[in-house]
Amino acid sequence: MNENETELRVQALVDGELAGTEADELRARIQGDDALRELHARLTAARGLMDGAELPRPLPEPGDFHWSQISEAIEREDRQARRLAKPSTRAGWLLSWLPPLAGAACILLLLTSPSRHDGPPDLGIMLGSDHELELSDDTIDVMTYNTGDDNMSIVWLDFSIDLRPDTLHIWLD
Amino acid sequence: MPAEPVYSSAEDPQLVEWAKAGDMVAFEELVSRHRDRIYVRAYSIMRNEDLAVDLSQNAWVKAWQRLDQFHGDASFPTWLSRIVTNLCLDELRRQKRARMDSIEAMEESTGPVENRLEMEMVDPVEGLDREELRERIDAALAKLSDKHRTVIVLYEFEQLEYRQIADRMGTSIGTVMSRLFYARKRMASLLNETLKRDGLIE
Repeated sequence: MNENETELRVQALVDGELAGTEADELRARIQGDDALRELHARLTAARGLMDGAELPRPLPEPGDFHWSQISEAIEREDRQARRLAKPSTRAGWLLSWLPPLAGAACILLLLTSPSRHDGPPDLGIMLGSDHELELSDDTIDVMTYNTGDDNMSIVWLDFSIDLRPDTLHIWLD
Repeated sequence: MPAEPVYSSAEDPQLVEWAKAGDMVAFEELVSRHRDRIYVRAYSIMRNEDLAVDLSQNAWVKAWQRLDQFHGDASFPTWLSRIVTNLCLDELRRQKRARMDSIEAMEESTGPVENRLEMEMVDPVEGLDREELRERIDAALAKLSDKHRTVIVLYEFEQLEYRQIADRMGTSIGTVMSRLFYARKRMASLLNETLKRDGLIE
């Protein structure tokens, strides 16, 4: 056993972490060794010195404020936990089946729809090659913005009359 | 109609039972009784006022959330002290990860010097009252590295055994013994230095 290990074992003895034969043997060794006896005495003194030496300190903020911070944090975490909590068993069962059921219903609807055709839906608006919107009514201004990259058209209608289906005919050509 | 609970005169275990049933006023009374002690423990480890306040607040929040796990094996403040100590250790680990350099590097550089330190004798001296000595011990603790200070606080103040300290710090018993030994050596040296400087010992 090297010197360092012996020192640590003497410390363990002082700290009450060594027991039985091991402790008895070390005690006997300490009795016959001046250096170890001195180390034992110093460690015992250091240990006694630290006993109850933690300096008391008042909380550096008012107690009411401290409590308000704690209670706010508790409420915040409770709310978060409730939000993240799993739904009840019945609701959970329903929620787990809802997406596949909705998907199946959509597919069924598409397959059985009588107005199903290959082109765009018939909105009474026609798109031409230049994707410009044309109106038959001169009282309405129209502005069209097309983005070919995004396949998107934005149309602004500026009108001062009531729009009625029989007076307004909009188409795209 | 049942009588209102008298919080201020109730014992801790009774307050804990009320708090477990969701009584925030009972919990507030527990906070009021033990907040200083919990703050002191956090400060002893972290040596930073703001961090100690934050961590002690977190400890109370965790305590509220884990009240069901408190079965009265230890006293309530002891249980709470364990919680704040663990939070401090987590924070030290987080800090260590954040600055990958210092602690290990510092130990490498200061270790051999500490190894050469003699274990000095420090005795409370005549004319130096306990309070004065405590202040000097506190100042010496502040000069220790995080790991040495933590092991001292866990052993001396938190009164954990070597095995428990090793578990909490995620290290071996041998490392705990070694750190404790060098921490004490350093403490003794720092204390002697300050006592000599103030002319309190020869």
